[in-house]
Amino acid sequence: MKNAYLNFAQMITGIMVAVLLFIHIAVQKLGVILSFLGFKISDPLAFNSMMERARQGLWAGIYICLLAFGLFHALNGLRNILLETGLSPAKMRTLTWLIIIFGLIFFALGTYVPLVLLTT
Amino acid sequence: MADNRPRENSLGIAGWVWAGNYTLERYLYLLHRVTGLGLILFGIFHLTATTIFRVQGEAVWNATMEFLNNPVFMVGEFLVVTAFAFHALNGLRLILQELGFTLGKPVPPIYPFKDAIRRKRLWTLVTLAAVMVLVVFFFIDFAAGGPG
Repeated sequence: MKNAYLNFAQMITGIMVAVLLFIHIAVQKLGVILSFLGFKISDPLAFNSMMERARQGLWAGIYICLLAFGLFHALNGLRNILLETGLSPAKMRTLTWLIIIFGLIFFALGTYVPLVLLTT
Repeated sequence: MADNRPRENSLGIAGWVWAGNYTLERYLYLLHRVTGLGLILFGIFHLTATTIFRVQGEAVWNATMEFLNNPVFMVGEFLVVTAFAFHALNGLRLILQELGFTLGKPVPPIYPFKDAIRRKRLWTLVTLAAVMVLVVFFFIDFAAGGPG
């Protein structure tokens, strides 16, 4: 039953990641097409442009949501693949905890930096 | 207590690629898995660059961008975007299928009938076409140098 809930969460987070990541990639990588459509984006990788976005709560929110949904989707997907390798339940439990700890460390790191930049 | 362990995959990773009579959808499943693993690998590098190197100020950020601004990383980035386009749209197809949206009207199984996979084949081809369109958009930007 637990895996059924995880599978459902995998679908929901997948949709969220697809939407948020498309916004992220469009702003970073679709400059030529977006400017053709009337949206002017000035060099999104320049430090000033990056900091300007980092100081807006909306962008910080988008990045943190993307991180949370993305980490869950990625690590749960990785666990699904590992489940197929036929490891013993005890080893699988250890691996699951390692994956959770890895996810929490990256979530802490990826949340801390946008929050710091938001206030600088 | 029931044994919840999955059936042993005796072919190992080789069985991902070939176990005889695989359909188009089975290869898309393999590609979904490979692109997923690739995106995780990229995600780890990307998260490191956008946290540890971003928070240290303008000089470190500019040096990082300077280091990443070469043809190898640019092509790699385009491949990542392609992998994302495929993984996202194929994932959407899988979700629609799992929730039953692509089943169509029930038909009596009178010979010659189509099996479930072939009845959903049109959706698969539409997904692949949408991936192609998205990749072409990204390629236009990539070829034009893009903003980054």
